Amino acid sequence: MVLLENDSFLTELTRLFQKCRTSGSVAITLKKYDGRTKPVPKKGHPESFEPADNKCLIRASDGKKKISTVVSTKEVIKFQMAYSNLLRAHIDGLKKKDKKSKSKKTKATQ
Amino acid sequence: MPYYQTWEEFARAAEKLYLADPMKVRVVLKYRHCDGNLCIKVTDNAVCLQYKTDQAQDVKKIEKLHGKLMRLMVSKETHSGSMETD
Repeated sequence: MVLLENDSFLTELTRLFQKCRTSGSVAITLKKYDGRTKPVPKKGHPESFEPADNKCLIRASDGKKKISTVVSTKEVIKFQMAYSNLLRAHIDGLKKKDKKSKSKKTKATQ
Repeated sequence: MPYYQTWEEFARAAEKLYLADPMKVRVVLKYRHCDGNLCIKVTDNAVCLQYKTDQAQDVKKIEKLHGKLMRLMVSKETHSGSMETD
């Protein structure tokens, strides 16, 4: 699992999407992250770790290659914008709803 | 593991599940261009909510929900229990 910077992650994610255009799937996972780098200590051992409250972990995979990145509050605005654009740009192979039969509505969601 | 039929219900249930225990919940997005469908799953390893679509109009909704959950995760919420940093 490769841990990347936010920008590198977005670049690699773009590549994953491009690679999977003909076959395969892209899986993206999002989870709240408290900044742990060590495994949870067993019972009786003091937890010498202060959980952070403002991070999330984003992972992506095409089945073979795995990438991940950590986003915190300071980066989220910029990351989320770029990320949304990326998703919208690449997730474009879906059916467009055009009801020719009933009322002609030209692109209601804009 | 049921697939929700309406986006509204799924979105509401997903947000509710996340707010119940933010640390447990994960969101999975799976996109298959060759099949032309997108599937989103929200689970806390006990409950699993899924929504599948092949409609372009749902992409925006899914991406918005994803962004919303992302922002919730990084915001410093003062929630009861778990993390008390003194």
